[in-house]
Amino acid sequence: MTMMTAEQYEESLRRLNLVVYMFGKRVENVVDDPIIRPSMNAVAKTYELAHSPEHEDIMTATSHITGTRINRFTHIHQSIEDLVKKSKMGRLLGRETGCCFQRCVGMDALNALSIVTFDIDAKHGTEYYKRFMQYLEYVQEKDFTVDGAMTDPKGDRSLPPHKQPDPDQFMHVVEEKKDGIVVRGAKAHQTGAVNSHEIIIMPTLAMRQEDKDYAISFALPSDAEGITYIMGRQSCDTRKLEGGTMDQGNLLFGGHEALVVFDDVFVPWDRVFMFKEYEFSRQLVEQFAAYHRQSYACKVGVGDVLIGAAQTAAEYNGVEKASHVRDKIVEMNHLNETLYCGCIACASEGHKEPSGTYCVNILLANVHKHNVTRFPYEISRLAQDIAGGLMVTLPSEKDLQSPETAKWLTKYFKAHHDIPTEHRMHILRLIENLTLGTAATNYLTESMHGAGSPQAQRIMISRRINMQEKQRAAKKLCGIEE
Amino acid sequence: MGEGIRVGLKYCGGCNPEYDRVALARHIEESLQGKVAFVKPEREGVRLILAVEGCSTACADLNAFQGMEIRVIYNIDGGKRFIKEIRAQVESFADHGK
Repeated sequence: MTMMTAEQYEESLRRLNLVVYMFGKRVENVVDDPIIRPSMNAVAKTYELAHSPEHEDIMTATSHITGTRINRFTHIHQSIEDLVKKSKMGRLLGRETGCCFQRCVGMDALNALSIVTFDIDAKHGTEYYKRFMQYLEYVQEKDFTVDGAMTDPKGDRSLPPHKQPDPDQFMHVVEEKKDGIVVRGAKAHQTGAVNSHEIIIMPTLAMRQEDKDYAISFALPSDAEGITYIMGRQSCDTRKLEGGTMDQGNLLFGGHEALVVFDDVFVPWDRVFMFKEYEFSRQLVEQFAAYHRQSYACKVGVGDVLIGAAQTAAEYNGVEKASHVRDKIVEMNHLNETLYCGCIACASEGHKEPSGTYCVNILLANVHKHNVTRFPYEISRLAQDIAGGLMVTLPSEKDLQSPETAKWLTKYFKAHHDIPTEHRMHILRLIENLTLGTAATNYLTESMHGAGSPQAQRIMISRRINMQEKQRAAKKLCGIEE
Repeated sequence: MGEGIRVGLKYCGGCNPEYDRVALARHIEESLQGKVAFVKPEREGVRLILAVEGCSTACADLNAFQGMEIRVIYNIDGGKRFIKEIRAQVESFADHGK
């Protein structure tokens, strides 16, 4: 098999034996659970579009290992064009799903490891790169969805891993065996975790020698013995249990996050890609983060949906020609396309690493993600401004269907004479979903904290700026000679 | 009547298209019914590649078709010009055949 269809992907998930808990109970059927199912639909879209003639040009790539056509989400970037197409793919899928489609994080982990394992081998004479390439070929051949897991719970933020009162606050080695290692710890906020076939673990921060037991990277099947998933809640999540076709806003797609616990899990050596080479943990964190900050191209696509929804709401309300509404729509587009500039720029200014993998421009990727921590909030504020307060005071779909109340809702929530009241309610529910419902988890808070909180980007920007060159230019122009 | 010239239809990825590429391709095929047949671009016997691009960036990867005749369109006007060109070619061919 090279590329799975959406249907094959769904069936492949049914074969997994994941240990998933939600609302205090074990989820026996993960794929069909109404809370989780929309997030599976979003990942399935990455498989579906790869088979679509009108999208395959950015959804697929040629494997540099086998020369076969593969899903781009399993590809190692071989050129600037590959990096640019990755950004474009993010926008496309964001717009097609209106949410997080979860599969980018694994692609980013694979690409970062393709660089770092090569560099570790160059210094230490190890065989991580060979192991990694065998693993990569397996992932490409199976067309797996891979969860890239970096964020540890971290415990007391003022203390490094080795000084934590509870050593399990960071993923670490608890036993070294002849055939592998045993690890313990957890990864938090794992997007798409229960929709994944594999999970790749990376250290969460730059480690020092004293923390070398925490400087580990490895891959496991997502249903390996000892892994437990505890689903996170999302605002308005139980609307998915109510049935109907209106109140959940986005009828088809959604995202999810989970806490993933590793309770003494065995990892065979051929799945270990970093083992105590602590001096490479910073590089892995920075390069993974840079790729993943580029991946926030997806928010441009979700922004497209929100802008389209705001314009539609304005038309339904009959205010689309008001100058202040038109100006707000222009502002939303300005902000959204500014985000697009950043994700295209960091790709276009990428470079080739010694392993042959192309990496994004790290400064520009951080600038892009820093904009993402802000602009979706302003785009959402403007969308809510245009939509009006009805967005949050609207009665339920069941009231629209009730013989006692339907006539009143139909009468009093009618705006433009050509537009059915039901349509107006649908579009307002979508804006609600994106700006304060389940999708706001991904469009807003994930934009803030996903791939690193704003301060993480500011630190990287300060490290990467060439201040001396700026000062030289300034001094030269005003006649300062030193 | 035969199927006409085999044209390999190649789309860009459609990240942010400025028009409906699929609808335009369908319109072209219907307008040139009997004169062209759209097929997968890698298929045998393709005489011409038609790249339907969503915008003027025209980023579809055409490397696999080097040496072949390629037409690139990135808006609806381009589609109309393509229809006109193919019709003219077919008519010219028919005139020469008389």
